[in-house]
Amino acid sequence: MENENKNLNDLFTFAEFDEMESEHIAAPRYSYWKSVFRTFFRNKFTVAVAILLLFILVFAIVQPMRSGYSPIIAPNINNAEMKFLKPSPEHIFGTDHVGNEVFDAVWAGARNSIIISFVSVAINMLIGVPVGALWGFSKKMDKWMIEVYNIVANIPFLLLAMILCYVLGAGMKSLIITMTCTEWIIVAYFIRTQVMIIRDREYNMASKCLGTRTGTMIVKNILPYLISVIMTYISRMIPSLISYEVFLSYLGLGLGTTNASLGQSISLYTSYMRGYPHLFWIPVGVLAIISISLYIVGQKLADAADPRTHM
Amino acid sequence: MSSNNTGREVILSIKHVDISFDTGHKKKFVAVKDANFDIYKGETFALVGESGSGKTTLGRAILRINPCSAGEIDFEGKRISGKISREEDRNVVRNIQMIFQDPAASLNERATIEYCVSEGLYNFHLYKDEADRIAKVDKALQDVGLLPEHKSRYPHEFSGGQRQRVGIARAMIMDPKFIVADEPISALDVSIRAQVLNLMNKLKAEKNLTYLFIAHDLSVVRFIADRIAVIHLGEIVEIADSETLFKYPLHPYTVSLLSAVPMPDPVVERTRRAIVYDPSKLDQSGEKRVLKEIRPGHFVFATTKEYAGYEEKLAVMEKEEQNN
Repeated sequence: MENENKNLNDLFTFAEFDEMESEHIAAPRYSYWKSVFRTFFRNKFTVAVAILLLFILVFAIVQPMRSGYSPIIAPNINNAEMKFLKPSPEHIFGTDHVGNEVFDAVWAGARNSIIISFVSVAINMLIGVPVGALWGFSKKMDKWMIEVYNIVANIPFLLLAMILCYVLGAGMKSLIITMTCTEWIIVAYFIRTQVMIIRDREYNMASKCLGTRTGTMIVKNILPYLISVIMTYISRMIPSLISYEVFLSYLGLGLGTTNASLGQSISLYTSYMRGYPHLFWIPVGVLAIISISLYIVGQKLADAADPRTHM
Repeated sequence: MSSNNTGREVILSIKHVDISFDTGHKKKFVAVKDANFDIYKGETFALVGESGSGKTTLGRAILRINPCSAGEIDFEGKRISGKISREEDRNVVRNIQMIFQDPAASLNERATIEYCVSEGLYNFHLYKDEADRIAKVDKALQDVGLLPEHKSRYPHEFSGGQRQRVGIARAMIMDPKFIVADEPISALDVSIRAQVLNLMNKLKAEKNLTYLFIAHDLSVVRFIADRIAVIHLGEIVEIADSETLFKYPLHPYTVSLLSAVPMPDPVVERTRRAIVYDPSKLDQSGEKRVLKEIRPGHFVFATTKEYAGYEEKLAVMEKEEQNN
């Protein structure tokens, strides 16, 4: 027996064990934004759409500068030969009823539509997100804000758009005001609901126990969790505001006749749909491409912003 | 139950505290009824009870998360419950810290460990400059057995035990006097429970801390606590020194709790019979029960009639003990 023990002791030696070594983490360092972009660029389709979108955005800004298109300037209006030309290498999208280039009209329109929707979304988010975050956090504020919401959110959009258009006059400014004066509270309400979901989680109580103020808590504990939700919301909102603009311009409530816009082009060219359908379909197609690519890029970015997809 | 009786300094005293929740109906739900006890400086006081007994609610009331509906809580002789000034509130935060049950849920997943640990430092500006803050964070992490290189990591990269130690580090960096540990090991793997308990004991000795240890597991409590209070449905039914409570359990609820602890001895375990607590066997005369001191430091929640019964039972148990 003793012999056996001795043999065992000869055979086995105690391995050195460093306790601190077991605390070491072998995984590479994690960085949130780096992982977001790595996930985003992993999908080739997404990258293609993003490049297309970038191209459209740059083109919509650069092309109208070069062409200087304005719907009230029609140098070829008395030249019948220049009207209603089919798309050709010289006239890429053809010409319209006053002999203007449809190509210029569409891009000038796209630029205005994009500017209006981007500015409106930025304003809505800048007001809606902070208000919504406070609203979700404060039970006192919730009591009266919910009543304000009930009133403001129930104003019919079209009615409001009409009144504002008649009061402020047509133009980019009044269109942006129309799209922000009630929409921000809808954003705020959405954020409020999201904040309420994570407000009572234990880590927020832990922060409270450490004496963290509400403002810091919103910025450090709540908003980082909402990045992907907010991105999804933006990616839905930009195309929908572009469609709103088109819709309002189509009704004659939008930018007025002096400014180009996709809605304006569509409403003008609808009357020539029988004889010259390309006049109608080209601006509609451009609108569709812009909306869909914005939506896809926004969605994919929102997905990538969710750390559960980072593995 | 004052410092005069025992000559020990009282750090926290809970005086006839009721905590109730508004249920939306007329009737309020009372989670804690007439809790009344003192915690002495430097001890580990355990609050034991089944889930829903109000132990966490009471712990959170000390941290001013749940308001008291009656009674008051005093910390170092000053009232900390109800409306107090902002300065006093900050003082409570600095001196009373909490260790949470679920380390995964109580850390902000979108913040680095460095931010999690220095959150309290930022809030009270407890550092001279950036270098001092980093030095403090490093020290706090090393104190709980983590490496300074973990600072730039995110909570999801850590194991359960490591995360709980981060939770402890962030409480300790505030240099508190009193810590409420709300079931700090319940969510942990059995294999790392001892690691965290030993760490808590080590820090207690180093920093002269006082713990309120909330738990449902009596075997753990016996290991760590100096005194134990047993709470049942919001009422504290028995308070005693750990050894006394295990030796001479009086209240039938304490007896049933103790009978539910598994024994490591297979022979004893085979014959162990779990006693079911039956409140209908208690005195039904309708007399209001109060906590009565049956032996110095040993309190039991009873009516006069029950008290006589406990006295008899205790005498028998003490005699048996002497004969052995």
